[in-house]
Amino acid sequence: MEAPPVTVMPVTGGTINMMEYLLQGSVLDQSLESLLHRLRGLCDNMEPESFADHELVYLLKGQQGNPFMLRARRSLIHPKAPWHLRYLGQPEVGDKSRHALVRNCVDVAASHSLPEFLNEMGFRMDHEFVVKGQVFRKGVMKVVVSKLLRVLASGNTENTEPMSLSYLVELSVLAPAGQDTVSEDMRSFAEQLKPLVHLEKIDPKRLM
Amino acid sequence: MGVTCVCQVPVAEGKSVQQTVDMLQKKLEQLGAIKQGNFWVDCETYHATGNATGQPSKLLYVMHNSETPLSCMALFEGGPGLAADANFDVLMVKLKSHFQNAKGHKVESRGTRYRYCDFLVKIGTVAMSSSARGISVEVEYCACVIPGDCWNLMKEFMQSFLGSNTPELPAAFTNKAEGLYSPVDCMDTMSQYLELFSKVRKQQVLPGSGVR
Repeated sequence: MEAPPVTVMPVTGGTINMMEYLLQGSVLDQSLESLLHRLRGLCDNMEPESFADHELVYLLKGQQGNPFMLRARRSLIHPKAPWHLRYLGQPEVGDKSRHALVRNCVDVAASHSLPEFLNEMGFRMDHEFVVKGQVFRKGVMKVVVSKLLRVLASGNTENTEPMSLSYLVELSVLAPAGQDTVSEDMRSFAEQLKPLVHLEKIDPKRLM
Repeated sequence: MGVTCVCQVPVAEGKSVQQTVDMLQKKLEQLGAIKQGNFWVDCETYHATGNATGQPSKLLYVMHNSETPLSCMALFEGGPGLAADANFDVLMVKLKSHFQNAKGHKVESRGTRYRYCDFLVKIGTVAMSSSARGISVEVEYCACVIPGDCWNLMKEFMQSFLGSNTPELPAAFTNKAEGLYSPVDCMDTMSQYLELFSKVRKQQVLPGSGVR
């Protein structure tokens, strides 16, 4: 009944910009077990967490420029957990010697009215998919090994089929802007996973 | 988190906003309520840009409540609402080319928080661009989450210090699909504040109400 102790002013401008540092690679289904075995050895000592998420990608078409993209994710294993809304900015072009892909990242936890609310804002769902896999941690680094599954009938997450015969491996760190030592640490960790998987900086623009 | 009722109290005849607030606070203190810190609720308006036709653009309201300092509530008037964490404000900054912040439209209510047994009473001065425009009173009965079960008790309590200004059952509860017997959530409180703020925005500026 006491007044909440936190008396923070709402954030309007001047925010702490969080950046996501990312390296990606993939392994064929048959090589998955050896990779998981090595990750269990290298990463922090805890049971790797399994997840099954349903992600919906929303686009807002403006008058000019590229459409604004937002990713809304919910857990299929914990249906009561809040939705995770994510905005990812354009990759930072700069130092070619920087080892990881760096982009601005905003993560928002939201209530279950999120899809309806995004539609009201003008966003339209572009595509959706299901991701199932495991998460490992090493300090601030997060390694996600996952399989992407195509949703056959919109909204029906029971009926899915794998998109490929491989697993996506992602090494990421969320850090405030300006911490460049992060990509060094990521590169040395990625070295330890060779030759099982080659994690590299993949520019999404080159795939378009 | 309990059942909350938000209402507007008119300024007393011949008195200023501050004097009316002082009168209400005195009545509460005489009842035996204890001061317990301050509170604020604010509301920012965003309008959607990029409307090709001459349709009036949708208004998005982003509100904050000191009772839930890490959250942010976003609503469309008469439409869906979203409860999110404080990063939603950061996201709105990223969306500034699609949703413009109408800075002059920010309304906020600030005041004192009182506790009387299981009730929390918040008396606030509603201000827009630093000028006091009205008074908001929020009464929360913390022991219950079903409006149908405690409305009569709340009404009786409010009558003891609001007298004839006691409000009727808020539309936020009667408009729900399951009516008065569905549990409340933070959006019910915020939509009541939004209704109050919209009324205050439309009212004319009260004479002699400049906040010094």
